[in-house]
Amino acid sequence: MPDGKVLDILSAIDMRVNAGEAVAILGPSGSGKSTLLGLLAGLDTPTHGEVVLLGETLSQLDEDQRAALRAGRVGFVFQSFQLLPGMTAIENVALPLQLSGKSNARSAAATLLDEVGLGERLTHLPRQLSGGEQQRVALARAFAGDPAVLFADEPTGNLDAASGERITDLMFRLRDRAGSTLLLVTHDLQLARRCDRVLRLNAGRLLQEAA
Amino acid sequence: MRPFTALPGGWASALRDPGLRLLLAAVLVAVAALTSVGFFADRVQRALELQGAALLGADLVVEQGEAPDPAWISHADSLGLQTARTVSFPSVIVANDQPVLVQVKAVDAAYPLRGRLQVETPQGPAGSAPPSGGAWVEGRLRDRVRAKVGETRLQLGEIALDMTGLLIDEPDRGGNLFQLSPRLMISFEDVERSGLLGPASRVEHRLLIAGDGAQVAAMRSWLRERLPAGSDLESLDDAQPAMRTAIERAERFLGLAALCASLLSGVAILLATRRYVDRALDGAAVLRTLGMSGAAVLRWHVARLIAVVLAAVAGGALFGLAGQQALTAVVGDWFGQALPAPGMRPALVGLAFGAALVAGFSVPTLIRIGAVPPLRVLRRELDAPGLANWLVWAIGAGAFVGLMVWQVQDARLALSIALAVFAALGALMMAGYGLLWLLAPLRRTGGTAALGLAALARYPQLTLLQLAGFGLGITLLLLLAVVRVDIIETWQASLPDDAPNHFLLNIQPDERSAIEALFAREGIPNSGLHPTTRARLTAINGEAVQPEGYTDRRSRRFAVREYSLSFNAELQSDNQVKAGRWWHTAAQREAPGFSIEESMAQTLDLEVGDLLSFDVAGQRVEAPVTSIRAVAWDSFNVNFFVVGTPMLVRDLPVAYLSSFHFTGDSTPLTLEFAERFPAVSVLDLRPILKQVREIMGRGSLAVEMVFLFTLVAAALVTFAAAQVSRDARAREVAVMRTIGASRRRLLGAVLAEFGVLGFVGGLLGALLAAISGYLIAVELFDLPGRIGPAVWWLGIGAGTLVVALVGWLATRRLLAVPPMQVLNSG
Repeated sequence: MPDGKVLDILSAIDMRVNAGEAVAILGPSGSGKSTLLGLLAGLDTPTHGEVVLLGETLSQLDEDQRAALRAGRVGFVFQSFQLLPGMTAIENVALPLQLSGKSNARSAAATLLDEVGLGERLTHLPRQLSGGEQQRVALARAFAGDPAVLFADEPTGNLDAASGERITDLMFRLRDRAGSTLLLVTHDLQLARRCDRVLRLNAGRLLQEAA
Repeated sequence: MRPFTALPGGWASALRDPGLRLLLAAVLVAVAALTSVGFFADRVQRALELQGAALLGADLVVEQGEAPDPAWISHADSLGLQTARTVSFPSVIVANDQPVLVQVKAVDAAYPLRGRLQVETPQGPAGSAPPSGGAWVEGRLRDRVRAKVGETRLQLGEIALDMTGLLIDEPDRGGNLFQLSPRLMISFEDVERSGLLGPASRVEHRLLIAGDGAQVAAMRSWLRERLPAGSDLESLDDAQPAMRTAIERAERFLGLAALCASLLSGVAILLATRRYVDRALDGAAVLRTLGMSGAAVLRWHVARLIAVVLAAVAGGALFGLAGQQALTAVVGDWFGQALPAPGMRPALVGLAFGAALVAGFSVPTLIRIGAVPPLRVLRRELDAPGLANWLVWAIGAGAFVGLMVWQVQDARLALSIALAVFAALGALMMAGYGLLWLLAPLRRTGGTAALGLAALARYPQLTLLQLAGFGLGITLLLLLAVVRVDIIETWQASLPDDAPNHFLLNIQPDERSAIEALFAREGIPNSGLHPTTRARLTAINGEAVQPEGYTDRRSRRFAVREYSLSFNAELQSDNQVKAGRWWHTAAQREAPGFSIEESMAQTLDLEVGDLLSFDVAGQRVEAPVTSIRAVAWDSFNVNFFVVGTPMLVRDLPVAYLSSFHFTGDSTPLTLEFAERFPAVSVLDLRPILKQVREIMGRGSLAVEMVFLFTLVAAALVTFAAAQVSRDARAREVAVMRTIGASRRRLLGAVLAEFGVLGFVGGLLGALLAAISGYLIAVELFDLPGRIGPAVWWLGIGAGTLVVALVGWLATRRLLAVPPMQVLNSG
């Protein structure tokens, strides 16, 4: 901090998510939800404490090892979609498959896009798609490698209610089929209730764990 | 408006914006480079002009047969100018009972105003007029009469003088290089006592004027209106041709280096603006949703830009001033004198250039901000429409050309450079499209290199922009780094170590074989013996030549001057036929014909086919012009304005002229010549050769210094070209890392991407630099276009490596930021 004080964003977090479980982290804006998600996914590193993902202690891995752990085994869905603007829909979906060395990346990507209802939009750039369509591309990308774990950060936050519902349905459908563990960050109680477990976060502290 | 305080949005917010910071740095470095180059070049140019002035002994010289009007001297005084007077005339002295024809030069106490008079006396070196009763004598006069400085007395007219010093060098002898008789320098008081200044004597009076440039210019125009017919006004431009060529070339090198630096700065500004605009679009969209019109948003940003640019220009000018001081500290010694103080003009030029560069290179990109759709606040991917890439570049190049025309005052040169820049940009764009077409299939594959190369195809606009930036940067850098060396080496090679350093004048026909034998005996390399005769141009195409028929003084001088006609069968190696044909066949040599030097042809408006008549000792020699030649005057070979076919010389009285190269002390040889061939004059050119070599050396070093600024500007372009995509790249890297791409893979992809950009930019840069280098050498410097292989390996090798390294470094820094931080930022 500019005044020299240390700001604890998250503290005293002790949680465990089992394989195949769907867990929602619920909390108001600024409670540290996205930071927690980033730490759990190895996108950031904690100043204290340890995160174990898929049996690996993240603090013992370097950046490349963490990336290798994510490649093909971890999927992401973001509130702001985070599609690469220069890549077409199919290129965005094929990217994780190409990164993990799959040979049939493009045909697999085409199948996935067809599955999310965008079979006609394979070569569209993100800017040529609506918000809901972009998030469907993001979902197809996230599930491209049949991930063991899916991290979702406010996946419906940028969408209207109807689109949001469709995306939620699609996400859970894909997750059920892949058998992925789901870790979802949201402030939408409705969405959180569709998970097996809900964790509440307030001012960086895990308040309670509700079934 | 107070731009420095009333910055829209405040200074702190402006300086937080990385795009604006880069723009600020680009303008600052651009102006610093421009003004440093400007200030330094201005000072070097003044120093070089001073050296040129040293050849005249003044900044301005009036030459005529009568004593100068005292009113001229008082006018010069009133302008705060210094004056000095010399009088010269041929006369005969008697020393050691030998009469010798000499060229007397009487100088006053103020002589010389520029340059250095070098005299050795038994008491030590001297540098001004001899004291009354004394005389400075040239070495060949001393040798001719076997005199001893400090002991021998000589008789000149009615007065007796002591040989008190040996004249080593006089600054204003350039014009009289081929003077046959040796020099005798005496004081101005003695010349009046000698009784030799009779009304009919062949006296040449010179009034030397020197001082502040503006005042000298004022004096020149004042004199032009008052000079009587038969008077001549000489300035630096009329100084000895070899020296003039050397100075002009040095100035052109400097000018070229400065132009390259400013063009590179423009490119950096263009790229920096692109980054600024990309980042400003979100904020502009928000302002538009709040009710501001597109024009108002644009005005807001333009005002911000103006404030930043003004600050950068002012800061840059200060840096420039400091930079040139540092330069001067380093190079001061090379000039053997303090460099003249810089003028204000470079600062103003720097300011105007900086502002105009921003207007030309920045505004066409900036206008995108005004066109941002408000909907972007909801859909960030909506872009603001802007001008096509080629048009943005064309506007920038247009602004640059406009500035160049204004600065170099040479529309033809400016147009040539403009065409070259447009051609270069066109070639780079074409290559860019070709590259995109080639790389398009890679978008379907997934290897590390393919990932990077596909990125080029994914962002075609950016690829073209970066390729143009890198390519142009590499071209200009190569032009200065390699082609500059090639041109300078060719320039210096035009005056080889074994260039003739002695001239032999007035060899009589019956002495030819003896002199050739002497050359052979001593193994002295020489230019051969050239038959020459003195002649006056009397008619062109049958019409008598009247000096009054010409409006400018130079033409008048060409019309009335005495020519040394020569008659050679072969074209000299340092001559090049520019129009018409040389007489190569026996039949052509047997027909009358003249070959004339191109500046003479230009001045007298002569063309191939024109009939020239010369008067040679009462005989009329008439022949058509059959060719026009370019002459390398700075080769120090024997060269002539007019050369005739060998058949023309048959019935004419001729003397021969030769030049030779001799190392070491030539006194014994001069003595032998004086003894065996009393009419032949031996002229030692080494002091002048030394001066020309010095100018070449200093000119080259000055260019090296100026080149450093170009290097900084080029580094800035490379940095800006890599930075232009930084924000998009940061996001891309973060997303890729999130979905599992390793550092190694990302760095590999970036190396492939930037490596290919560097390779293509380097290849084209080398090609463009080689072509323009060739054209520059041939067209601008009149030198043979020899471009070495370094341009290729350096362009392609270093281009690929440096650009790949820049991309790698930029991405490496991005990899240090946690992906979550980037993804959360927007």
